[in-house]
Amino acid sequence: MRFLRRGRAIPVSYRVPILVALLMVAISAVISERVLDRLSRTQESFLDGLAGSYLDGLTAAVLPAVLRGDVWEVFDALDRSQKSYQALSPIEAVVTGEDGRVLAATDPNRIPSFSDLPDAYASRYDASAVTLDRNSDTGFAHRDLVYQGQKVGAIHAAFDASHIFAERREILVTLLVTNGVLAAIFALGGFLLVRRMIEPMRVLEDHMRAAANGIAEPIPSRDFPSRGGEVASLFRGYNALVHAERERANFAMQLAEEEKLASLGRLASGMAHEINNPLGGLFNAIDTLKTHGRTPGVRDTSISLIERGLQGIREVVEAALATYRPERSGRPLSADDLEDVRILMKPELRRRRQRLDWQVDWPAGFVATIPGGPVRQAVLNLLLNASAATPEAGAIGLGIERTPDQLKISVTDEGPGMPRDSIAMLCDDDPGPAVRAGRGLGLWMVRRMVDACGGKATVEAGPSVGSIVTLVLPIREEAQHERSHAA
Amino acid sequence: MNEHCPAKSRMLTRRSALALCGGAAVSLALSPSRAPAQEGFKFGLTPVFLSSDLELLAVLRTYLTEAIGEPVELVSRRTYQEITALLVAGQLHAAWICGYPFVQFKAELDLVATPSWHGKPLYQSYLIAAAGRPAERWEDLRGDIHAFSDPDSNSGYLVTRALLAENGLKPEGFFARSFYTYGHRNVIRAVASGLAQSGSVDGYVWEVMRELEPELVGQTRIVRHSEWLGFPPVASPKALAGDPRIVRLKDALTGMDRHDQGRKVLALLRIDGFVAAEPALFDTIAAKVDVVRRFG
Repeated sequence: MRFLRRGRAIPVSYRVPILVALLMVAISAVISERVLDRLSRTQESFLDGLAGSYLDGLTAAVLPAVLRGDVWEVFDALDRSQKSYQALSPIEAVVTGEDGRVLAATDPNRIPSFSDLPDAYASRYDASAVTLDRNSDTGFAHRDLVYQGQKVGAIHAAFDASHIFAERREILVTLLVTNGVLAAIFALGGFLLVRRMIEPMRVLEDHMRAAANGIAEPIPSRDFPSRGGEVASLFRGYNALVHAERERANFAMQLAEEEKLASLGRLASGMAHEINNPLGGLFNAIDTLKTHGRTPGVRDTSISLIERGLQGIREVVEAALATYRPERSGRPLSADDLEDVRILMKPELRRRRQRLDWQVDWPAGFVATIPGGPVRQAVLNLLLNASAATPEAGAIGLGIERTPDQLKISVTDEGPGMPRDSIAMLCDDDPGPAVRAGRGLGLWMVRRMVDACGGKATVEAGPSVGSIVTLVLPIREEAQHERSHAA
Repeated sequence: MNEHCPAKSRMLTRRSALALCGGAAVSLALSPSRAPAQEGFKFGLTPVFLSSDLELLAVLRTYLTEAIGEPVELVSRRTYQEITALLVAGQLHAAWICGYPFVQFKAELDLVATPSWHGKPLYQSYLIAAAGRPAERWEDLRGDIHAFSDPDSNSGYLVTRALLAENGLKPEGFFARSFYTYGHRNVIRAVASGLAQSGSVDGYVWEVMRELEPELVGQTRIVRHSEWLGFPPVASPKALAGDPRIVRLKDALTGMDRHDQGRKVLALLRIDGFVAAEPALFDTIAAKVDVVRRFG
């Protein structure tokens, strides 16, 4: 099983050629076995025929001499037959007489005439016409000499079978080499073919992977297979998807821009109101100064009033500038950002006569490496949403807690509870469906900020009424150092 | 005619056996039952040594045909006995036979010519053994498997038989086994291959073979030389004594060294020539026959 799992881990472009090669090896093993089996049978029947004709010839030559017991004639016939049966390569032939004793052998020094036949000769034959002995590369055959139905002697022959075994070995080697080369060629061919086949898939995979990392690029037309087909339609489908995604993203960006403008409009009207409120008092103070400016008490009071009014106006203007000036959005989150939020929320809270429960644990000099702009925007969005959800004269809350490695931001409201889609957009692993529903672009921007910081958002019901939205943003290690350094 | 030829029936059985053997013997003759007068001059050859040398046979036949003036047929048989029987029966006009059958059929045969070797019409019989064998005396060969050439051969049988008889022995008692190879070259082959441990062989054949097939002969060595004996002669039946062809044959043989073709024959045979010898040349062989006859 482990082996199988490992096998599956090998890329297809290697797995298929390996399988092809293994298949070739298996096929070649079967073919080789068949060929060798057939060859050995052919060789054996050929050898049987050859040995049979050798023994026939020898029988005809020696039979009369055996009948007469003529040692010389038998020897002479054997001696000449050794030279005339080159195809069989005879090594030795022994002729025995009626009494089983040797009449003559091709090598009389080894087996003298009139001696008893060595026992080994009787036991070296099996049932077949020719017995092959692999160890000595020798073939053995024997033939009874029968005259008028009576056995008058026997011929025992041994011949060199090394060429037969050599031929088998040669054919085996040829088969192995040929099949090996074929297997290698097929494996290489399979490798190239599979690579070629899965090349479009690789292109698709690369694009998908890039898309997963946020860079969705359509597949250029030069990467399209020239002959069309399934792959081309797959590529076209992918490109259509990328285009649709881009359109959706553009649309979302456009919507975000519009939302921003809309909230800017709301803020601008709030700000105008905020500026307009002290303006009446300021003009009154200027009138008072014109009329009673010489009176020191009145003059000081009026100037003080004008100063405080202008200060209020400046705070509102500065907060607006900080929020909507893009070059400032990249700097780290600081206490000023939170203060800006508070100021920006003021007009809306006053309009709805709501109270902001501010529980922020943030020392004045402390700076976190979390990007300030997006967090401030997100907190502002959440607070504006909370304010919209909470009835007039109600209360909303902002709580910020710090631990060494994370920042916890919670926004409470007294509303009827968040809609399911909004919760999904903030908390689900795949906010896609909620986004496609086209709701709550402000929340979508919050979600994007949380994802970008690697944090997490949760929504839960409040203690009695309303909801609590909690964002947990991790503070990276270098940030902790900076913090301790700053501290 | 058949009644006069008791050897013929035996010969025919042997022939059929030979045919079975697939041509063990070289036969250049037509059927021996035909009358010699109808078929030209028939010259018999015993398996002396080069009877299988086709070149020699061709040259000899050409020479004899030219010298005698009619076609000569060379007749070979496997054994001395067959040729002797044909010769004695008058089926051959002449034959090159061994001294032993000549002595046996002295009454029926005329001596035509005798080869001369190293200047004399004499040769020896050798007892040979394997080259590596330390035997020094013929007595060391006791208990051997012994190869004889032919039961009608002087050098290849009679000499050894007589030697044993002189010592009160018989071949079957002295040798463990013996067999005939029907050819002097075969005796050398049998001893060289180890089929026989010793053999009785024509000394002339052994010496000439030593030149022609040194590798084969080198595997044997001489244990004993016999005394010098009459060289196997050319003989003709007494019945043809007046035949002019026999006279021409005698002239052709004795004058062989004076003709080109004849010298070619002599060169192939490695002999000096043929001489007209007296039958007394074979008395030593006759003495051996006597010894064998007396001592068994």
